[in-house]
Amino acid sequence: MKKLFACFALLFGLSSVAHAADTPVDLVRDTSRQALEMLSKDNGKNSAKVREQLISMVTPKFDFQRMTALAVGKDWRAATPAQKQQLAKEFETLLVGTYSATMTRFKNAQIEIKPNALLNNEGREAVVKSEVTLPGSAEKKPINVDYTLYKTPQGWKVFNVTVEGGSLVTIYRNQFGEQVRKSGIDGLIKSLQDKNSGAKAT
Amino acid sequence: MKRLLVVGGCLLLAACASTPSHPQDPLEPLNRAVYRFNDAADKAVLKPVAQAYQKVTPQPVRTGVGNFFDNLRDVYSAANHTLQGKAELALTDVLRVSFNSTFGLFGLIDIATPMGLKSSKATLGDTFAHYGWQDSSYLVLPLLGPSTVRDGSGMLISNSLEPATGVFQTHTQATAARVLNAVNTREKLLGLEEVVDGAALDNYSYVRDGFLQMRAHQLGLPQGKQQQEEDLNIDDLVDDADASAPVTNDASAPEAKDASAP
Repeated sequence: MKKLFACFALLFGLSSVAHAADTPVDLVRDTSRQALEMLSKDNGKNSAKVREQLISMVTPKFDFQRMTALAVGKDWRAATPAQKQQLAKEFETLLVGTYSATMTRFKNAQIEIKPNALLNNEGREAVVKSEVTLPGSAEKKPINVDYTLYKTPQGWKVFNVTVEGGSLVTIYRNQFGEQVRKSGIDGLIKSLQDKNSGAKAT
Repeated sequence: MKRLLVVGGCLLLAACASTPSHPQDPLEPLNRAVYRFNDAADKAVLKPVAQAYQKVTPQPVRTGVGNFFDNLRDVYSAANHTLQGKAELALTDVLRVSFNSTFGLFGLIDIATPMGLKSSKATLGDTFAHYGWQDSSYLVLPLLGPSTVRDGSGMLISNSLEPATGVFQTHTQATAARVLNAVNTREKLLGLEEVVDGAALDNYSYVRDGFLQMRAHQLGLPQGKQQQEEDLNIDDLVDDADASAPVTNDASAPEAKDASAP
């Protein structure tokens, strides 16, 4: 009966409201659409507000703890739960700060989400592919952006983003590893804190 | 040319002396020095010039300049696709050059792309990789930036062949063209350095790792071994972390809903 209802819901186009973000593709598509909608309201004066809105809409779709683990790599095992939490918090601040600052560049971007996600790991992990085109730029080729998601009790969460094959997460692994080698996990936390508070880290 | 030989000599020396922190960067000390030099040169000259260029030229002009040099790169690309035995891509490149050089007003307009002739630029570095030179050490080229020993050598050889001599009649013209190409390319990348400054703990390492990942992807090569092994363990890594453990039981529920759709 439930299934039948779901069918009808789909038929009547209610599905987009009823189970938005059930699949990883939906999640990425909904999020990008909402993000572009928010950005289009940016008129130059309300930029700070738009940025706030955007951050609070986008960040819940990410799992920063898992992202941080991926960025840190094997040293993650050596961290205490408290250190893990701190690392994740600082890494989130760093990423959100960096990329929200560049978001207005994508104001007029066209984002095409590929309808078929690659499922790995018995369907618990998915890679959603997308192509971003920036109008007016000299670059005619669309930029390939891939999102890696995994299934949690709270739905699908993104934990890796790659741009043209370069991961915005694992790009940190060598830098983090270097810090950990030099001054331990606490040293890494400290250098992230310094970075986030605007001090120039070494 | 002489200068390049000197750089080559330095490379060999540095290669013997270093203990790499990245398996693909045995030349790190030298690379870091060149990176610092490039960074300084960029801040002092190239970036301000690119900014001024952005101010005084309208976008269509900059696009035209970009297209013009892209058209020349298509000539190299055709040669390299041929060397790699990729006939179809080579033919596409040849057609691109012929359309863009004629109807596209000497390459200023890229009419081939809207015609469905896709641009896929192959370099001599790609050809080397195609024939088995896949792992190559990271190399920061003076003024030109991130590259690899393989790609840098390819560039050196391509430049010394100079098919562009048919286009530029004098040495001065060729040099002027190179400068214009550099400025135009830099203009496209304006703003990128702020992202790097904002994102990186260590700018050098950030740029290197980003470049190597993207280049490997471009060539269709697997990422570095070390990285792959660690990536596979992501579930293990976060398993002990409280809330972020992956679900196994609930996993089937949402899928069943999807499956019910006709």
